[in-house]
Amino acid sequence: MTRARIQLTPGHVLRTQPYRDTSLLVEAWTYHHGRVGLIARGSRAPRSRTRALLQPFQPLLLSWNEQGDLGALTGVEADGHAAALPGEAIFSGWYLNELLIRLLPRHDPHPDLYADYVVALAQLPSALEAALRIFEKNLLTELGYGLQLDDDLDPATPYRYDTELGPVVADSGDGDAYAGSSLIALRDEQLDDETALRDARRLLRAPLRSLLGDKPLETARLLRQIRKSRPTA
Amino acid sequence: MSVYSPRLARLIDALRRLPGVGPKSAQRMAFQLLDRERGAARTLAQALTDALEHIGRCPSCRMFCEGGDCRYCTPARTASGHLCVVEGPADLMAIEAGTPYRGRYFVLMGRLSPLDGIGPDELGLDQLQAQLATGDVRELIIATNPTVEGEATAHCLAEIARAQNVAVSRIAHGVPVGGELEYVDGGTLAHALSGRRQV
Repeated sequence: MTRARIQLTPGHVLRTQPYRDTSLLVEAWTYHHGRVGLIARGSRAPRSRTRALLQPFQPLLLSWNEQGDLGALTGVEADGHAAALPGEAIFSGWYLNELLIRLLPRHDPHPDLYADYVVALAQLPSALEAALRIFEKNLLTELGYGLQLDDDLDPATPYRYDTELGPVVADSGDGDAYAGSSLIALRDEQLDDETALRDARRLLRAPLRSLLGDKPLETARLLRQIRKSRPTA
Repeated sequence: MSVYSPRLARLIDALRRLPGVGPKSAQRMAFQLLDRERGAARTLAQALTDALEHIGRCPSCRMFCEGGDCRYCTPARTASGHLCVVEGPADLMAIEAGTPYRGRYFVLMGRLSPLDGIGPDELGLDQLQAQLATGDVRELIIATNPTVEGEATAHCLAEIARAQNVAVSRIAHGVPVGGELEYVDGGTLAHALSGRRQV
């Protein structure tokens, strides 16, 4: 088996878990190699210099030696500032990370989706919902389950969405129909108004659910729990 | 087939539960206890049994405590009006040993981490909310770690405190005492700069 040495490749940490006494198991998401599992030896030791860097949402340059499924992290450097996610935006960031962990296998490069991830993180603080929907759309496309949003959609026509056929003109009385303008907004990644956001959320939920299967996302569950327990002052 | 006799194997296996102890160190410890430190071994066994029997969790601060009265929940500490939230018992000990702070504590025993399934229920946040509602606390001091998880936890704690009209503060983070700016990582330096104060 070839043992490749990977040098300073752009990446982000998706999650970290304690490993042995002073090490860290890092699930990283990289531009050239997709999702990879890396062991950061000694990262949890008292005077470790890598631990501060191995945080989610911090752009990094990662170096590692490939050893079977897990790599051994040999170097980590900051590649710019961490996305400053205020309050609940952290949960949305975790949501993106959880989607990537759940839906992408390791060692499967998706450079375009990596770029989408970086854009989504940057947009979370200002346009949270829109950033999430656009990332979900792009994720589905990368996985081969992309929505069929053609160029000839009419903004004034209501559509229903058929998994096989794509958008089909809806009957006039169809309450579940999506506004043509919403489909266009999602296609053009210009989700500016409430209706478009709501329709996009509804449209993307079904294919994501069928990919995620029975096990719901932990981030979504936790956020619901926090919102529920929040006292209404 | 183990190379050790059954009782020795059990002892070594038990010692390996300790953090930082592998098979080799466990064997060394076992031989040391059985050979040269038989008296100390007996004391250790007694201390372990004793500790397990008598040390529990304080119902109000969630720190380890013996019997009914917790040394971190005394009336004098309650009177200070400060409640400091930390992630774990080691954090509490660090503050207690290294600072003059003598208020009350609340130990979360973790931090919010959705990818590991740790939410507000696991951290006892409803318990904390009930304590804030009694009105004894004037200021909630959030001393969670400066990690992404720690920040998210701090955000939730701040919301709970604000809803109960309790003042909230977050411990500062920045350049360590005796440190040199040159060697401090960018994130810490950015925090230190944004949290600067007038002199």
